Amino acid sequence: MTDPTSTPPATGWRAHRQEIKFLALFLALLLGSFTVIAFKPVNDHVIEPFTAGVAKASGFVLAAIGQGTEMSGTIIRNQRFAVNIRNGCNGVEAMLIYGAAVLAFPAAWRTRIRGFLLGMVAIQIVNLVRVVALFLTGAYLPSLFDSSHTVIWQTIVILSSVVLWIYWAQRIVPRAQAAS
Amino acid sequence: MKSRDGERAERSWASRFLRNLLLWAVPVTLVWILLTPYYNRFLTVSAERLLRLTESPAATGLTLSDRHFAVVTRADLSAARGYLYRIRVSDIHFNWLMLGTFFLAVPGVTFRRRLGNLGWAALATVCFHIVSLFLFVKFVYATQLASWSLAQYGAAARETWGMAKHVFDLPLKFAWPFLLWAGFYLRAFFAPSDPSR
Repeated sequence: MTDPTSTPPATGWRAHRQEIKFLALFLALLLGSFTVIAFKPVNDHVIEPFTAGVAKASGFVLAAIGQGTEMSGTIIRNQRFAVNIRNGCNGVEAMLIYGAAVLAFPAAWRTRIRGFLLGMVAIQIVNLVRVVALFLTGAYLPSLFDSSHTVIWQTIVILSSVVLWIYWAQRIVPRAQAAS
Repeated sequence: MKSRDGERAERSWASRFLRNLLLWAVPVTLVWILLTPYYNRFLTVSAERLLRLTESPAATGLTLSDRHFAVVTRADLSAARGYLYRIRVSDIHFNWLMLGTFFLAVPGVTFRRRLGNLGWAALATVCFHIVSLFLFVKFVYATQLASWSLAQYGAAARETWGMAKHVFDLPLKFAWPFLLWAGFYLRAFFAPSDPSR
């Protein structure tokens, strides 16, 4: 006999309501944020200065590890190699994918905001490693620069952002829920 | 409250997933490198056919110029260098690396089932890549061929093709593997005690 007061288990698409909601929200946030950064004023006043900051930080690290680099705007150069840090090299794509996934996930807002901010920092650290590694590749293994630039490091940065999200959704969110 | 076993299962799921990602990254990359010339040929032929279907008269030519690049030509438009534009086709589909490693790295699921899920995801991804290359060529026609683009495409059409190419080339290309993976395995995050479901 069944308990007449109990709710029957969801079937069909209702059984996947949480997943569908997450995916729809994720896609909306992702496309929305990419549309926002595509606007010229946002690009000029937010993305470009941010990219200049990434270039400056990378130049600082390269100089600190003895590469003898000099900065000229967003260009980092030494005697062997020069690279111009532009949009696409700033880790913003990975940040937006990670941010959309965190904000779309059903968790307390406090947990989401903490996850969002810490993830952004972590992605920027990975991106800093990427720019430094790419500069060193260009300087010492120039034949590998193109594939490293477009394929290897873009994949690593995006994979890192997804792994960060998985760690956050699997480990941090349940712990925060248990604590509250 | 969650049991200690449940917590351990979550921890081990996440760490096994990370370990598997690292293990699968190398074989997936090797397969991608090996298959890239054949896949580039397939993509250019498929996108060329799709482009010709939308043209009257059919004028687009899309041919591989080397291992990674394809050149765009038109029967009704000539260029001094022999082609109108050069596209790095391999850049369109390197998200195979993310897709392959994500789908093969999932712990607690049989290899057969992971391959089956990857097969469905791969089918969707091939269509995605053909549409991406199609949009890239449309973007070239609408915005990159100077006076010819201005004569053939209005302001709204240029914006539309430019935006469509941008959306497929950046957010969707990078998020596509995660979107598909989440479609198959997201349930693990809503039922953490049995992540392999």
